[in-house]
Amino acid sequence: MKVIVGISDMRISTKPDDVLITYSLGSCIGVVLWDPEVKVGALLHYMLPDSSIDSTKASQKPFMFADKGIPLMFKEIYKHGAQKSRMKVYVVGGSQVMDESGMFNIGKRNQMIIRKMFLKNNVMIAKEDVGGNVNRTISLEVGTGIVRMKVSGRGEMIL
Amino acid sequence: MSRIEEILNIASHLPPFPKVAHQVMKMLDEPEVKAKDLAEVIKYDSAITANLLKTCNAAYFGLSRKVSSLDDALVVVGQDVLKDIIITSSSARFYKGEAAGGYQLEQGELWKHSVATAIMAKLLAGHFDKVDSGTAFTAGLLHDIGKRFLSSFVADEFAKIIKLAYEGNGSFVEAENKILGINHAELGCMIMEKWEFDEELSLAVKQHHDPDALEKGQLTALVAIANTQVITLGVGVGADGLASKLQGEGLKRYNISSLDLERYLAELLLEMEKAEEMMTLAG
Repeated sequence: MKVIVGISDMRISTKPDDVLITYSLGSCIGVVLWDPEVKVGALLHYMLPDSSIDSTKASQKPFMFADKGIPLMFKEIYKHGAQKSRMKVYVVGGSQVMDESGMFNIGKRNQMIIRKMFLKNNVMIAKEDVGGNVNRTISLEVGTGIVRMKVSGRGEMIL
Repeated sequence: MSRIEEILNIASHLPPFPKVAHQVMKMLDEPEVKAKDLAEVIKYDSAITANLLKTCNAAYFGLSRKVSSLDDALVVVGQDVLKDIIITSSSARFYKGEAAGGYQLEQGELWKHSVATAIMAKLLAGHFDKVDSGTAFTAGLLHDIGKRFLSSFVADEFAKIIKLAYEGNGSFVEAENKILGINHAELGCMIMEKWEFDEELSLAVKQHHDPDALEKGQLTALVAIANTQVITLGVGVGADGLASKLQGEGLKRYNISSLDLERYLAELLLEMEKAEEMMTLAG
């Protein structure tokens, strides 16, 4: 079954037939986690780097923010028996419009925070496709761990 | 007929913008307009009436109770809100079906992008002392109307446009210009003129992709920022992706910081959830 992950949302599945998918990653970032042993997969679509801009929304919608959403995503997938050492991690998105001043550069800030958090917590990224001026769609087949990405103007590919 | 002639011809063979909408908007500029008189005019357009009833119950407009008839709606809804509802109800018809297939947008996506931009424009309107929030909403809703009518021409030359946009260092709009001789913003302006919208609105539509939009008039700046925000979020974004140029220095003039932009994006997401009834009008 196709499970759509909306903006500021996260889904986990252990059903082999499920495909987790999130559309239209512009400056937002999609994070995929998959454990090949227990065959559990998760997909997060976060929108902004830092929840300190709005504490009310941070508690309402923790998956809106990288700093709240990423730790919560790991916590949730560990409950299904996933282990950090085995997990495949994919990071996609973080585009930006063409603005030399950097004011509209939320995509870059979204990239920086996940790098910082992963470095601090020893999380290795298997594959990533970030930045540029494109729009991306990403999906995970829970049974096989296949991650597909569709990029505006570039077509579809397996990551 | 050459292709550019064909495109320019679009504006002269355009379906009209609903007359009822312009009439009602003018009536709403009067402070003492009567609900009964409004109803007399609105009920002549059954599509507007139907959309109006669907739209006004959207949580986005925050009415105190549910309305079920036109007369009821006109009593409960305030004049400012009614303007937004009328323009939304009147514009949806132009975004139905595969309105922007040439841009690889699915059905309903261009409308979704337009409603999101209208909502964002309204959120930002407080930073602009010379723009009223109703005009901001209308400009946001119609800024991409040119895409609706340029779509089939973009489809014809898609491979060339996409190659130019992603292999060069240019924006998608610049690629439209080079390959088609016109872009969707310019065509949109011609459409707005033909539909007899105020010059301020036509100009904002024309300039919304100008990289120096923030140095232009306030409505232009506002629409450019709102559109850039919605593109950044990826809502209703097709093959053109984020290949859009805007110099952000001018944000300072309007006292908007990059953290403000993030806050408004967070706000937009919640507002969009409340506007589901509007988002699906052209589905």
